Amino acid sequence: MRYLIVGGGIAGTTAAEELRQLDPDSQIVLLSEESHRLYSRVLLPFYVSGQIEREKCFLKRPAWYAERGIEVKFGARAQRLDLTDRQVETSDGRSYPFDKLLITTGGAVTRPFFEHPAISYLRTIDDADRLFGLLQKPHERAGIIGGGFIAMDLVNLFAGRPFSTRLFLRREKFFSQAFDQEASDLLRFWIEESGLVVSPSVGEVKMTDQGPSLRLDFGEEEWGCSLLGVGVGIVPDLSWLAAAGIKVSVGVRVNEYLETNVPNVLAAGDVAEFFDLTAGRHRLVGNWTNAMLQARTAARTMAGERTIFSLVSSYTAKVGSRNIIFIGDTNRSTTVRVERRGSKEEDGLSDIFYRDGRPVGAVILNRTPDRRPLTEMIQSSIKKI
Amino acid sequence: MPKITIKVDKDLCIGAASCVTVAPNSFQLNEENKAVVLDHGTEPNSRTYERTVEVTEDEKEEIILAAQSCPTLAISIFDENGRQLFPEI
Repeated sequence: MRYLIVGGGIAGTTAAEELRQLDPDSQIVLLSEESHRLYSRVLLPFYVSGQIEREKCFLKRPAWYAERGIEVKFGARAQRLDLTDRQVETSDGRSYPFDKLLITTGGAVTRPFFEHPAISYLRTIDDADRLFGLLQKPHERAGIIGGGFIAMDLVNLFAGRPFSTRLFLRREKFFSQAFDQEASDLLRFWIEESGLVVSPSVGEVKMTDQGPSLRLDFGEEEWGCSLLGVGVGIVPDLSWLAAAGIKVSVGVRVNEYLETNVPNVLAAGDVAEFFDLTAGRHRLVGNWTNAMLQARTAARTMAGERTIFSLVSSYTAKVGSRNIIFIGDTNRSTTVRVERRGSKEEDGLSDIFYRDGRPVGAVILNRTPDRRPLTEMIQSSIKKI
Repeated sequence: MPKITIKVDKDLCIGAASCVTVAPNSFQLNEENKAVVLDHGTEPNSRTYERTVEVTEDEKEEIILAAQSCPTLAISIFDENGRQLFPEI
């Protein structure tokens, strides 16, 4: 049996590991566009802040792959999928045949601006190296563009430093899919309490190159800075899959077994637009636990034990000492009813999202004791389907 | 039955709860959103980030899997002789 996994992040690597355990004599090939062995993206802010050493970000020793007979190709970018001859071609002209294929390509950061030495993203360890280097230099002013998880990491990294930071929110709200205005205002209050200034609803920020610095223009105002952290989301690379006839939408479309429309082709992790049993709809989920556990489930199915993926996954963003916890499906636009506990005035609030009469998700701002009961509430609602 | 020591580094724990998902009898999140260690679903004595527990081979495997699932490598596992089983040194 020849297994081919495209994407060497946590999902791809976990799948390779699981497949090796389940199918000891098979061939397992792992293609990774990045040139590094597996590292944790979640640990990158810890490295950039100086809390841990760079080496601690890596999760596998260099010899790990060979020890398990996993053929890993670093720097290999998949370019073409041939479903007739059942092979994947990479940008360097090589072909990799397969019997079963798993897509775990995640996504690449959206880069809305031109390249500039002052700009840093925070998706890869290369981004982290760059940001680490930028933070060693003196700055008077910095900027952050973004309103989600990476923006929170950047807030924590820039707060308390000897430079002024301005955060630009292109839309009206932070976490605009999950938060209403009150929740966003509460988060804004915490961020400004830590010393940053927030400029919401700026729309597209116009940027001008000023040598080592940038000038940002938004409306009537401008902000010159020598350091700009950007976190405005990731986008999956789907065109090469669509060209081969794989059904895609905002991600690779898969069912609750993580199977695509093509037999023996599955997808897992950030790239998978999977049918979520809790939410009762297809959605993309971009957190660590989801990626890892989807990979395990997909591997089981590929090794012959067809398994449904069912998980109420969660993730926490920390802002200073406060936790913002996301559980299950937190897309406000697809929910019918939202139940709120707490308020901005109480410095903490929790929203429970209901759909089809069931709780499908929750977002918790600084009310951490709500986490366990709300998770249990959402988990037990699946059993009623 | 063998004993293992499970330690959570609360400075690295971000409350991702992968450990809770993989090994709910051994981990749960406390009121600070950090993982604490359980002994077969209970907390003898008091809430703690470190425990030595008696386990079967299957249970030990599940706990090591939970440690591997942590995105910040906040969980360390040691055998009875103090040798670190995970993360591999």
